[in-house]
Amino acid sequence: MGAVWILIEPICHLLIFSLLYTMIRGRTISGVEYPVFVLVGMAPFLLYRNTALRLMDSLRENRSLFGYKQIKPLDTYIARVIVEACISGLVYALIVFGFAWWGFDMSINNPLMWFMTLTLGLLFAFSLGMVLALITHALPSLKLVIRMVFFPLYFISGVLIPAAYLPHALMPILLLNPFLHLTELIRGEVLPHYAMVDGISIGYVTGFTLVLLFISLGSYRARRLHLISTKNG
Amino acid sequence: MFELRNVTKSYLTPKGRRYVFRNLSLAIPPGKNIGLIGRNGAGKSTLMRLLGGADVPDSGTIVTDRSISWPVGLTGGFQGSMSGRDNIKFVCRVYGAEGEAMREKIRFVQEFAEIGTWIDEPIKTYSSGMRSRVAFGLSMAFDFDYYLIDEVMSVGDAQFKRKCRKIFREKLKTSNVVLVSHSMSEISKLCDIVLLVKDGEIEIYEDVIEGIKAYSA
Repeated sequence: MGAVWILIEPICHLLIFSLLYTMIRGRTISGVEYPVFVLVGMAPFLLYRNTALRLMDSLRENRSLFGYKQIKPLDTYIARVIVEACISGLVYALIVFGFAWWGFDMSINNPLMWFMTLTLGLLFAFSLGMVLALITHALPSLKLVIRMVFFPLYFISGVLIPAAYLPHALMPILLLNPFLHLTELIRGEVLPHYAMVDGISIGYVTGFTLVLLFISLGSYRARRLHLISTKNG
Repeated sequence: MFELRNVTKSYLTPKGRRYVFRNLSLAIPPGKNIGLIGRNGAGKSTLMRLLGGADVPDSGTIVTDRSISWPVGLTGGFQGSMSGRDNIKFVCRVYGAEGEAMREKIRFVQEFAEIGTWIDEPIKTYSSGMRSRVAFGLSMAFDFDYYLIDEVMSVGDAQFKRKCRKIFREKLKTSNVVLVSHSMSEISKLCDIVLLVKDGEIEIYEDVIEGIKAYSA
């Protein structure tokens, strides 16, 4: 059942939002069909969200393996990222083939940049997930709050609508969110005629990721002895 | 040989820090089978984990020049959602047994633990007896200088215990054991030296009978 859900979740999201959107506004956005538009941004976003959230549980799930002294908590984090990336990649490929078979144009405009941005996003999600995992290891009650915060993130990261449709007055604040940059960049690289909003920059995401990666690895180094001791978390 | 130098180990609990050992120093002579005895919660398993390097002291060092197994405990170092076979493969890869060596070890564990086709079921569906049989068999499949055995042998049925003792006697010709047990007959049968863990202190008894007497007192 769990395996089926992995495939059904993104398809459900797609169906519901496509239906809603076509009822309200029409069938296309910047020259592409709405389901294609959503899929391109939503699949990476779901991957990043799952990665960041699942890292919070990876210590608890793999606690018994720390009996082998070769295995460190960092290994479980990295393994989780690899697993999530493989699953998401497979699901994405399946849906893309399904769409192409149905008759949608699924070609990617700038594949190299697209792949690079995806990788950068995964690195960002890994750093974020590790920071969250270290925070919730110290304060387990925050887990629920963090999960709730990710829900509105879905809407302010431009997953369902182009960032240009978000309120202009709030743009300086919304642009602080690296997820918005990532979804916009990815769309810009896949869709040939997509106009990104002003202020989207890959430099911002890279900088943000590097700082976060530094923080996460540094605090991991400081906390590593607490993480393996069985009596905690 | 083990040497503990100024070892302090504490755990952070919701109610504050609890010290298991404070500034503990001792040397355990080489080539002995070590029995760890003490009341529940005295720190036997913690000491064993420290010796095995599965846990790290807050301060101080633990020195040894021998190869030491992972702590073989009742819960077993297993990932519950993976099958027994996958768990065995995982440990084989961690310890560098690939290809034919890995298949050999899987066969050995399957036969020793007598789990038959259960080997392809997830570990979390195993009974505690099955799990400890797999855990014990898996550690026996590898060669170490010291085996860390935490209560595993006490759960099996009589026949399995006999089997354990047999393979153990074989292994103990070349290796040693660090054994945690509440069964004094087992301790006196297998161990040459007893470490009594009590109130954060460790008393070494070269004479096993004397150690057991001190524990029972």
